[in-house]
Amino acid sequence: MAKLTLMFEDKLVKEVPIGSRPVGIGRSPDNDLPVDNLAVSNYHARVYVEAGRLVVEDLDSLNGTFVNDLRVERATLHDGDSIWVGKHHIKVDASGDTTALGDTGKKGAVAPRINETMVLDTKARRDMLQQAAAMGERTQFAASRLKVPTLVVLSGKTDQKEYVLTNKLTVIGKSKMATVKLKGWFKPQLAAQVNQRDDGYYVGPGDKVPWVNGAPIAGPLRLNDGDMIEVCGLRMNFIFRE
Amino acid sequence: MEIASGGVTNVGRVRTNNEDCFRIVEPMNLYVLSDGMGGEAHGEVASALAVETVVKHCQETENDPAMTIFGDMPAVWSEKTKRLSSAVHLANKSIYDSAQAHPDQRGMGATVTAAWIDGTRLSIAHVGDSRAYLLRSGTLQQLTSDHSLVAEQVRRGILTPAEAERSEMQSVLLRALGAHPEIEVDSEEHTLFGHDVLLLCSDGLTRMVTEPEIAGTLQAEPDPAKASERLVELANEQGGADNVTAVVVRIGGEAKGWFSWLRGGARKTAQKNGSAGGK
Repeated sequence: MAKLTLMFEDKLVKEVPIGSRPVGIGRSPDNDLPVDNLAVSNYHARVYVEAGRLVVEDLDSLNGTFVNDLRVERATLHDGDSIWVGKHHIKVDASGDTTALGDTGKKGAVAPRINETMVLDTKARRDMLQQAAAMGERTQFAASRLKVPTLVVLSGKTDQKEYVLTNKLTVIGKSKMATVKLKGWFKPQLAAQVNQRDDGYYVGPGDKVPWVNGAPIAGPLRLNDGDMIEVCGLRMNFIFRE
Repeated sequence: MEIASGGVTNVGRVRTNNEDCFRIVEPMNLYVLSDGMGGEAHGEVASALAVETVVKHCQETENDPAMTIFGDMPAVWSEKTKRLSSAVHLANKSIYDSAQAHPDQRGMGATVTAAWIDGTRLSIAHVGDSRAYLLRSGTLQQLTSDHSLVAEQVRRGILTPAEAERSEMQSVLLRALGAHPEIEVDSEEHTLFGHDVLLLCSDGLTRMVTEPEIAGTLQAEPDPAKASERLVELANEQGGADNVTAVVVRIGGEAKGWFSWLRGGARKTAQKNGSAGGK
């Protein structure tokens, strides 16, 4: 039987089995796993089984739910994962009930090896993506919530206060063709640039080396929600707007 | 801005036929690359058809700007971006129609990545898993998204980029020319800066050679023809599992600030005075 174990540092606080009912996690005592900490919301998160997978869902908590190091809204859990809420963490033990959770035999769901390039039609594509999701390799953010990458100007002279990143490449500089237009004497035409790639947004150098979170970047750096970018007297926050 | 370009396609070290195809139309600053798929020789048919159709349409629209634009696209786009995107829609239709007319060609398809430079504006139109990169300030930036299953899984957070590289499903495409009568084309416009280097390449390059190696080669070799040869060599040295194609386009330096303006002005004056010698 799969189970969740609430831990505070090395101490075991409480252990609950995962059944058909969702396991509630939060500060309110009527949760299955009550967590006595002010950083934890009353109803912070819940864990349940869906389509044979073990899923954790954040209930719009103030300080967030983390799986291992990653902040998640919804994520598939695997045996040995840790869910972090505040300073407590919850160990995931899915070892006892792997068939129900679909963790074994996931290779069986994969299509046979394909060497030749092929195109999937719409139905095959849907099936394959569903299969891939069921494999539960690393499902995280719910696709239903659209996230808009945005640069918010905190200080410095620019033509707008906010820029939504819509292009593959966003140029920051004095150039009249730049998306984020810097104003003022002695500003470079091309100060820095942001490249949208499959796994996220990367800030890279232009004529200047931008700083991210107080340190100069060594090369293109993947931006995380809330990162602070500084270049040529301009300070901006990179955020995902919901 | 001065533009220099060069390209190479090679069968690789494993395959016996080359289904990649590219065309550089220097007077138009038009660059088109395609990677075909399909049994027998049909991959070659598809990629050649893709390249030919795109080039032909772009040439025709130069003479006849009133030609129909295919597909929905934002009004703010430049004429050339709309034309290039239309051309890719047409290429899809050509391949689809050909496959319908010849039952032995069923299942053939092709990727296409096309770039058209007009002054400082770069237009890109793209379908499939060939790629366009821009090397700028030493950083290689990807201008296209692969329409492959693994890339989609990375975008959805199901796979990490490293897992995608090891995946056995890398060849599965979600979008390619010729599979359906209608297609969605990715198009975009960018502004070029002096010393930018544009690279179009097939997956035979990107699966064999890492991005830092690509960036290093483009920086080390100023001649576009030699740079593309070197990239193809690298892919073959590292396995050459697929056909490999690279097209390199190098943008010249631009006049910057008052100092070069003065120098440029002085040079012009010197030419007017009829002084001999090189540039």
